[in-house]
Amino acid sequence: MKIFSSEALDQIKGCLATWKKQTLKQNIPPATTESGVPIELVYTPVDIGEMDYLEDVGLPGEAPFVRGIYPNMYRGRLFTIRQLAGFGSPEDCNKRIRYLLEHGATGVNIVFDLPTIRGYDSDDSRAEGNVGQCGVSIDSLRDIEALFENVPIDKISVSLVTHLPSVTVAILAMYLAMAEKRGIPFTDLAGTTQNDFLMETTIGSAPEIIPPRHSFRLQCDVVEFCSKNLPRWNSISYNGYNLREAGTDAVAEVAIAIANAKATAKELLRRGLDIDSFAPRLSFFWDLCDDFFEEIAKCRASRYVWQKIAREELGARNPRSMWMRFHVQTSGISLTRVEPFNNIARAAIQGLAAVLGGAQSLHIDSYDEAYSAPTEEAALVSLRTQQIIQVETGVVNTVDPLGGSYYVEYLTRELAARIQEYIQKIENEGGIVRAVETGWLHREIADFAYTQQRALENGQKRKVGLNYYPSKEVGKTEIAVFTYPETEKRQKEKLAKLKQERDGELVKRALRRLEEACASGENVMPYAVEAAKAEATLGEITQVFRDHFGLWQFPLITL
Amino acid sequence: MKKIKVLIAKLGLDIHWRGAVVVSRFLRDAGMEVVYIGNKYPDEIVDAAIQEGVDVIGLSTLSGNHLTLGPKVVRLLAERGIKDIPVLIGGVIPPADVEELKKHGIAGVFVPETPMEEIIKFIEDIVIQKRGLPK
Repeated sequence: MKIFSSEALDQIKGCLATWKKQTLKQNIPPATTESGVPIELVYTPVDIGEMDYLEDVGLPGEAPFVRGIYPNMYRGRLFTIRQLAGFGSPEDCNKRIRYLLEHGATGVNIVFDLPTIRGYDSDDSRAEGNVGQCGVSIDSLRDIEALFENVPIDKISVSLVTHLPSVTVAILAMYLAMAEKRGIPFTDLAGTTQNDFLMETTIGSAPEIIPPRHSFRLQCDVVEFCSKNLPRWNSISYNGYNLREAGTDAVAEVAIAIANAKATAKELLRRGLDIDSFAPRLSFFWDLCDDFFEEIAKCRASRYVWQKIAREELGARNPRSMWMRFHVQTSGISLTRVEPFNNIARAAIQGLAAVLGGAQSLHIDSYDEAYSAPTEEAALVSLRTQQIIQVETGVVNTVDPLGGSYYVEYLTRELAARIQEYIQKIENEGGIVRAVETGWLHREIADFAYTQQRALENGQKRKVGLNYYPSKEVGKTEIAVFTYPETEKRQKEKLAKLKQERDGELVKRALRRLEEACASGENVMPYAVEAAKAEATLGEITQVFRDHFGLWQFPLITL
Repeated sequence: MKKIKVLIAKLGLDIHWRGAVVVSRFLRDAGMEVVYIGNKYPDEIVDAAIQEGVDVIGLSTLSGNHLTLGPKVVRLLAERGIKDIPVLIGGVIPPADVEELKKHGIAGVFVPETPMEEIIKFIEDIVIQKRGLPK
């Protein structure tokens, strides 16, 4: 049923025409959202005249979930304050995790250094210069144990930003081995692994990459294993965030992530799983950028599109399978190095948009992140910003407070349509895996990044302090910049000790079994857990994948 | 003037390819020939630079390996007796490291807010100087 009668709409249309002539009396220069949706000067019921409230928007906790996945939203449970932490050795990083928890963080979010992210041990020549930089270094089960020392992993949820499926297999295996040693049943573990094959093959470039098809298979292995063994674990976090940062607009960000979710679901259905056995634990990760209303509408639209696909195309019956649950990080690329304190305002506004968009958990970037990982002081400002949103602003007191805004509802519908169109575009390319293999997706990203840079260079896109009232402070910095503790040497020493102390034969046998599972098509996860328990290193586990699946050349697109 | 030829490489493990690709395209728009080789380690970068006969090497990194691997490229070039290929670095470089890089022979350091024009001009000037041409 339409909200407005056609008589009412006709009357408003008539008044609008008169208003334009008699009250407005001028032409307004055109404006668009960041992803190019034209913006009217004013929105009225006419713009959502076609909307059927119950069908297209509904009530919170009910399909199509536009207003939120839970009926009570933040009145039931506040969004999780999940600030990233990661630098140095696991021993260094453990201190930051505990600092954040002591100050009121309600979840943990671990970011790893690049050698870990790409599956190399700290003593590997390829790791040189990157050990403990931009993330914490993990080589073995012992490191995972040091990282989570005195962190109650049976009580708080832990997000492991493991990027690649191959590395997810290894790190999650170590995490499970740790839980087993502590006597915590797998069923008590709550958390998330990133596990996104696009992180391996598209979003990040690297010297060595497992072919997309095989990376995708490992991604699905993790999802399948978790659905059977870890009922409270989000097996995957479809990473729209890094897509956006690499170069997409809001529409492509959501569409590409959902296309990957759809492909995963289809593969698991092919393996004989029931959609409702794994879909409730698929989660998403959005980047909230500058355009306030568009970002809110994007969050709402993403819920609409996913439930539609889950229900109509994948046959989900359990409402949880239709829930678009997502974590938000405020936009790193929107931060400026000039006048870094301005970033506090940017991140707070983006964080507010996340909450108005109905996010399940949130990381607010720190003002110094355009320089380095945040100092403790800067990390605390981010944490406090979240708490200000939670307890001072009152925005959490009613569900989806912008629902019913003519503009936000219009934009939600428009973005939902555009997201579905883009998903169709990917299907036309042969699906997400094929779109990666051919380099189509890389070209889309490169093209957008170039266009956006052009807009910044010619002043079409304005950045305060940068090209709008440019700061005279360029090149100077008044803030303290975090310096990474020396890590490489310490990690190498621990590795040498580990290799002396462990049972080398046991490691070899476990790695051989892992390789056999790669070949037979069996799920690799149980074998990885055995390898982790035998204290095989991250590099040894992922080398099995590199050796077995071979390497793929990242498309060198410069256009 | 003969077309300026630039080698662009992602340094080692750094995964952020956006900047390298965007700069490559702007340099090409400015009339330069760009050879983009993706993620490579210093020895491979030096090999490629010699093989391609480039005027300038541009390294891109946003993940903290600039101080280790950047100067290594300069050192390997010197070891091979090459003195006329300046090495530039662009990316997220903490201010304190800029001077350090220059001390180790890095000819130019560019950060996220550096305008493209400035990078283009820097490369043009350095090549003009190198070729002994009047400005």
